[in-house]
Amino acid sequence: MANTETTLKEALASIEGATGVALVDYTSGMALGTMGGSKGFDLNVAAAGNTDVVRAKMRTMEHLGLKGQIEDILITLSDQYHLIRLISGRGGNGLFLYLVLDAKRSNLAMARHQLKRIEEDLEV
Amino acid sequence: MTAVRTAEPPRLPVRSKTAAGERGWGGVSPMLTRLAAERATGVLVRERGTLHLADGLVVHAESPSAPGLDTLLTAHGTLPPEAWQRALTEADDGRGVARHLVDGGHLTPGALELCHLTAVYDAAYFALAPSSTPGRFRYGTAHRLGPIRPVPVAALEHETLRRRDLLHRIWPDPGTDEAPLIRADPVAAPALTRRQQTVLDRVNGVRTAPDIARELGRLAFHTLVDVRRLMAAGVVSPLPRPAHPKPTEPRRAEPRRARGEPPPVPVPVPVPTGLVELPPDPHTTLLKRLRDALEAL
Repeated sequence: MANTETTLKEALASIEGATGVALVDYTSGMALGTMGGSKGFDLNVAAAGNTDVVRAKMRTMEHLGLKGQIEDILITLSDQYHLIRLISGRGGNGLFLYLVLDAKRSNLAMARHQLKRIEEDLEV
Repeated sequence: MTAVRTAEPPRLPVRSKTAAGERGWGGVSPMLTRLAAERATGVLVRERGTLHLADGLVVHAESPSAPGLDTLLTAHGTLPPEAWQRALTEADDGRGVARHLVDGGHLTPGALELCHLTAVYDAAYFALAPSSTPGRFRYGTAHRLGPIRPVPVAALEHETLRRRDLLHRIWPDPGTDEAPLIRADPVAAPALTRRQQTVLDRVNGVRTAPDIARELGRLAFHTLVDVRRLMAAGVVSPLPRPAHPKPTEPRRAEPRRARGEPPPVPVPVPVPTGLVELPPDPHTTLLKRLRDALEAL
């Protein structure tokens, strides 16, 4: 894998309709790298907030006794898609990729596939 | 006609600066801000850790409370310990340990960068903790790790404050951050995540949260988060401090679990003799937690 910045830049450039991407540590809620976003959309705030989403889902799965791993979480807004892709690493530090897509310009299935490829690149 | 004269209204209470610092909304280190502004290179030694600067950017951080980069890299098999040792000895040629690790094909630049970045923020959290003594700065010493991804001081300070605030929101009492931990007896035991359970399994009345982090090869701040969540769930609590420090007892070797017995029943706590041991009353604990939660609003 190249460095984080190159990987995120590539994600933003290659995924159709992507407007922002962040690599997030979900225990601390810190974004280890962000690319894109805008004045009205602070990726660092989104990163910290979405750790709660991931954590809530993990806790629920623990309560239900589900043994599977979360691959990705999709949130659809009226005009955007938010994709969360968990990175399974040996380090035991949970990381996830957070991708913001413009709903009108994106192909969800394709984006999901591409994000999976990028995840494989990032494994620590 | 009588003029009504009202006395000057009482001044509104002002929060003291020290209290703000403890809560995590005060400043971090004016000295560090100054060093960043003058683009200094050297080592800032503070009470609970050190920050290495190059051109006013933080290139590395270390703290006795946080596991080092070597522990984090070798604990989960990301890097064989011999490879780290070899890189350390070879780094005397001035190219830096990081270059040797990457050039030797042991780590990709990205993996090293992520691991180092999380380790820097982790150690800096402790290094920038409120301290009772002033920091010292030594100019002009480069760190032998070599450049990886320098972090601006402002970003580090901002993140450190955000982390203090995060811990405060999970559970407002910092008592579990440094004290040895004991298991508490919750009224209703909550379901724990696997990650939390691993931490809880190591709670034995002797280990502190940073000890557990080092043993598991996890980041120390992340373990503080786990422990505060466990505290909020009522399953761990800090070992009450004895009124007078006693000579330390010999460390208990290992929790009983290691010898293949069933999971330990919560608490036989190794309390130093002479200390009045009162088992916490669950109702009192609940009331205290309610009070703390209300105060935190």
